[in-house]
Amino acid sequence: MSILDGFIVGLPAAAAAASLIVPSRLARPLTACAGLATAACILVAVFQTSHHRGDHDALSALFLLPVAIVYGAVGLYAHWYVVAESPDDAAGETFRREFLALTNAFAFVEVVVPLVTNVPGMWVALEATTIVAALLVRLQGTPAALEAAWKYILIASCGLALGLVAVIVLYAAGERALGTHYSPEWSSYVHLARQLNPDGVRLAFIFALIGFGTKMGLAPMHTWLPDAHGAGPTPTSAMLSGVVLSDAAYVILRFAAIADAALGPTVVQRMFIGVGLLSLFVAAFFLLQQSDIKRMLAYSSIEHMGIVAIGFGFGAPLAVAGALLHVVNHSASKSLAFFAAGRMAARYETREIAGITGSVDALPISGTLFVAAALSLAGLPPFGIFRSELMILTAGFGSPFWIVAAFVLVLLVVAFAGITRWVTATTVGDAPMSVEHGEHAVLPIVGMGLGFCVVLGLGIGVPLALQTLLADASVLIGTTP
Amino acid sequence: MHHLTLPEAIAGTISVALLLVQLALLRSLVLAELITLYAVQSLFVALISLAVGITERSWELIVLAVLTFGAKVIILPLYMRRLSRDISTRVEIPESINVTLSLILAAAIMGTAILTAGALPLKTGEFLPQADLATTLAIVFVGFLVAILRPNALAQVIAFLTIENGLYFGTVTLAPGLPFVVGILLLIDVLIAVVVFAVLVRILVSQEASASVDVLQQLKG
Repeated sequence: MSILDGFIVGLPAAAAAASLIVPSRLARPLTACAGLATAACILVAVFQTSHHRGDHDALSALFLLPVAIVYGAVGLYAHWYVVAESPDDAAGETFRREFLALTNAFAFVEVVVPLVTNVPGMWVALEATTIVAALLVRLQGTPAALEAAWKYILIASCGLALGLVAVIVLYAAGERALGTHYSPEWSSYVHLARQLNPDGVRLAFIFALIGFGTKMGLAPMHTWLPDAHGAGPTPTSAMLSGVVLSDAAYVILRFAAIADAALGPTVVQRMFIGVGLLSLFVAAFFLLQQSDIKRMLAYSSIEHMGIVAIGFGFGAPLAVAGALLHVVNHSASKSLAFFAAGRMAARYETREIAGITGSVDALPISGTLFVAAALSLAGLPPFGIFRSELMILTAGFGSPFWIVAAFVLVLLVVAFAGITRWVTATTVGDAPMSVEHGEHAVLPIVGMGLGFCVVLGLGIGVPLALQTLLADASVLIGTTP
Repeated sequence: MHHLTLPEAIAGTISVALLLVQLALLRSLVLAELITLYAVQSLFVALISLAVGITERSWELIVLAVLTFGAKVIILPLYMRRLSRDISTRVEIPESINVTLSLILAAAIMGTAILTAGALPLKTGEFLPQADLATTLAIVFVGFLVAILRPNALAQVIAFLTIENGLYFGTVTLAPGLPFVVGILLLIDVLIAVVVFAVLVRILVSQEASASVDVLQQLKG
């Protein structure tokens, strides 16, 4: 592990420990600094990897980006959030310290997942994200938060149980090639893929897709997701949707790379397309009938994870690169949308869409950023998601799966209708006089501004370093010409 | 004809015992009994770890067997007993699916798991002793069934723990070479998960004075 990795892992861990000890008025700026510093270290590491230096492969580096984007902004956002959400007394102070410590700990376990190079270690890290997230979700103490936390830890743990079956079966499948006692590294599996037991690899991939697919929010294992995203604290929703889903996608991709090399691409592609289409279908229609603004964003996460899976299913280099870029774009747009929605929900004191009108009038910056993030999520140019969806669909129409691509296009229109309907309902018009006008907070706006730069920037152009990473990572996953 | 070796015979006997305990979970509706069943199942899992450890001459598995015994046969059951003291000890069951029906369902699931594992196109002698995979899957899936059919927080925790027992059985029998540190991490992970579950159970109990998760029915759609 390099010194840089030490910082990437150590900063959030140290911030978590410190937040438990120091009073929250110190822990708040500390968390903000830890978030920004970690993001900076990740960017350096990613840049190094794109120049083939450092000790990560392109796929690991790529999946560090969501952590940089979301944790970098969460620190700034939480600086305002913890004060707005808690009373100014001893109980409130306990809430603030616990929340900040858990948030930093959450970032720590999230960043470990793409850094671990062996299979069981990554499973443990992913399970740790479940545990920390469940603690964060129940923190607000309402019955709904408790229910969401309970469902989340139970369903996600059961899903991860199947994921562990995948880890065990894969280990057994490698015993002939690697001996009975070996260290289960990703790279050794891929190198010796042709010598692994093919039936074992197939079985492992199926279990990985179902098990880790539960964590990724793929239908029909998605039922925990709207509850946890809706009932949890806003920064937690952003980190769950922006990072944990992509961490789970990362693990599935590692399994897919092994299965691809051992079995050829067909099996993997068909399964990705199957679950992807189902997720997109479920999400598109649930999006049309939401009444809670954060649950709407949660269903949009299921939609986008479906698109990512379909991109991997198409298998062409352009589609795979598009799907990887989509993961990064989704992290940026979704976390921005959650942040802005959280500001609106706090101002209007409700998450009900019916109770929020004219938010651009009441919160000129947050409201506008919400519109931008939501339009990005709906797939409109000039935002990043438009670019990655275009890449996936272009490749899809040029592949044998063009019917799937056509179907995806129809479902995207349905999802678009759902999102724009709720966005217009909540943002357009005049805010009621009873609602306070003006932003009254700087740091959350700065955090959201940084997120917006990514959302817009990746739509205008993809930096050269990122292009190299996308190309390298596509080769690692294995693509079909 | 293939003669069973001693570890194979032990693994076979213990798989049957594990499956019977898993079925008994659905039969019993008293929390204390469920906790005892979990302790018994954990004892079998510790035994198999010990047996495989001795035959493979792997001190790691023997250490894990001792740790498993300490954590899952003694500490966790005692802890759960304390937790269950404040709450109603009977587990309610949904009206539509009574005990007999749930046992039939579980038997069907087990049958399917065993047939599926047998029908998988795995070349014999190459890897995965098939009966062990079948047992692992059967325990995991019946564990899911228990979690679904018993709307009681502690019963669901026990279901999760038995699923984990099934996974541990799978790890020991199918991949005994998996590094020691992995086994330890798994064990720690279970302990932390149980603590989190316990935190949630406590809040639930303080709010509702029962551990029924029936009250957790608001979030829909």
